[in-house]
Amino acid sequence: MRKLDQKKADAYFKLRTTMIIIYLSIGFLVSYVVVFNAEALSTFNVIGIPFHYYMGAQGAVLTFIVLLFINAIISDKIDKKFGFNPEYVDTADNSKVEDQ
Amino acid sequence: MVVDGQFLVSILLIGSTFALYIGIAIFNTAKQTSEFYVAGRGVPPVFNGMAIGADWMSAASFIGMAGTVMVLGYDGLAYIMGWTGGYLLLTFLLAPQLRKYGRYTVPEFIGDRYRSDTARLIAAVATIIISFTYSVGQLSGSGVVIGRLLEVNTAVGTMIGVVLIAFYSAMGGMKGITWTQVAQYLVLIIAYLIPVIFMSLQLTSNPAPWLSYGEVIGSMRELDQELGISEYVVPFTEATKWQFLALMFTLMAGTAGLPHVIVRFYTVATMKAARWSGAWALLFIGLLYLSAPVYAAFSRFILMTQVANSSIDDLPAWTEPWINTGQLSVADENGDGILQWEELSIHNDIVVMATPEIANLGIFVIGLMAAGAMAAALSTAGGLMIAISAALSHDIYYRSINPKASERKRLLVGRYSIVIATVAAGLLALNPPGAITQIVAWAFGLASGSFFPALLLGVWWKRANGPGVIAGMITGLTVTLGYIFFSQSLGIQVLGIIDTGAGIFGAVSAILANVIVSLSTKPPAQEAQDEVTDLRYPEQMHYKDGEVWLKE
Repeated sequence: MRKLDQKKADAYFKLRTTMIIIYLSIGFLVSYVVVFNAEALSTFNVIGIPFHYYMGAQGAVLTFIVLLFINAIISDKIDKKFGFNPEYVDTADNSKVEDQ
Repeated sequence: MVVDGQFLVSILLIGSTFALYIGIAIFNTAKQTSEFYVAGRGVPPVFNGMAIGADWMSAASFIGMAGTVMVLGYDGLAYIMGWTGGYLLLTFLLAPQLRKYGRYTVPEFIGDRYRSDTARLIAAVATIIISFTYSVGQLSGSGVVIGRLLEVNTAVGTMIGVVLIAFYSAMGGMKGITWTQVAQYLVLIIAYLIPVIFMSLQLTSNPAPWLSYGEVIGSMRELDQELGISEYVVPFTEATKWQFLALMFTLMAGTAGLPHVIVRFYTVATMKAARWSGAWALLFIGLLYLSAPVYAAFSRFILMTQVANSSIDDLPAWTEPWINTGQLSVADENGDGILQWEELSIHNDIVVMATPEIANLGIFVIGLMAAGAMAAALSTAGGLMIAISAALSHDIYYRSINPKASERKRLLVGRYSIVIATVAAGLLALNPPGAITQIVAWAFGLASGSFFPALLLGVWWKRANGPGVIAGMITGLTVTLGYIFFSQSLGIQVLGIIDTGAGIFGAVSAILANVIVSLSTKPPAQEAQDEVTDLRYPEQMHYKDGEVWLKE
């Protein structure tokens, strides 16, 4: 075990948290905000479907899926950038309860 | 019982999928408690994604959701967005951290994180109640499917499901269930997609239903206008905008708080694998949830163009069995010999299950549909049984009653509790009280008022303590149940929000109660607070006494 600079650890946490806030805001935008303005957004079509309906039936779900994959990819990159191994498995840690 | 080609094909397909599930369980028998509860934490993320998909998508999702979207129009889309958006909350805010904390069950996390046996017991009881009622719905669903397609009694269908689930979950535990769910996911998604693709080819000559149903929706808008009825895509015809938003929130937070879903994230090795599991899971779930509105649009279009406005004595042949079972009711109310659109009344379940017959896809696809619906019911029921068994045998028996129990004894108690829970749920499912469907609808409100706030604050706010979480869970459950009661029986509603949206009030009040009580009582011990700070970092890093260490 090697001690880590607290500043580096804080920077890591801050970056991860910022990314999560961005993802959740986008998710909020495509679902709640679109629903809230549904009437106003129904005037134009996407693939032949009024926009508000399109977002509820397809757009929001597709955005959610893309966000989750972006999160998975970027998180791995952030881990690497900070020099951590995201695939590290601490066998002792996993059996906390089993050992009791 | 009529033994014909259809019967033989259906029973052959269902029988061979059952044999597959049992084979998988025998091959993956759990030998240790870690295999029984968390599949030895070695499940690869892609397969865990499929298992989460099957765990999550119930008989109601498979059979009923497209119908809900068709009947409710735009308002039904709250279910599509709510049930998928829950995976954002889960994957971004809870799952990786819960994985790092490294326990077997959700109540165990709550008990250990908050250093409170009472909190663990409340969470265990809530897990059992929510999962049990939910599983009664699955088992009666599987009874209906087997009953209708094999033309046997519904009770026989239910008992077949019970014996099957009890056998393979007790043997394989989480390890067996995981791989059974992977197989069940594949069966159910193939069964769901084939009919809708063929229907798309027939109606629009396009093999990609997700891109082609826009033109069907366009034609329907014209038909609606001609008939002078409220248009399919017009928002908020069934309830207020606030009810839509409250329901969507309740479903999201409830999804992120359902113990049988969260525990699937415990079966992987790392936080990284938890993030990837969430992404794969939503992709696999999305295949079904993106197709449900397509089914809805196609079915409504066919009903409007091929059934409505035809002579009452000359309806398409496929309508007959559905009229006989009351799923479709036609009444020539104005006596003009023509069936008007307004004279049609359609049950939710017809939309998916009748599609193979409407599109004339033949006996193989009808049988596959039955196998798919069974897979959806069985996989969810299996996951729920593991959650109930873990709450009983691990959280209550091992952690509270007999902490000295040997590994062998714990496995045995786990297996017995699965069998008992399955049989009990099956007996109730034979003659389900009407309240069951209601309780299933409320399960999301209850999870969003109890588990979601407790987990959210437990992971993200180290100052939250034992008294806080107890107050939070009790307040959340009371407010949710109270709002359900007041809105249902007394008609007292805030902004037109009805019982299904109650979870938002539960969640907000539970967070407030947790924060207020935590701040007015002693902060948690330093060790407990350090454990929460530790959740900010990947497995390789360890936070202790204000210092971060990197394990090498």
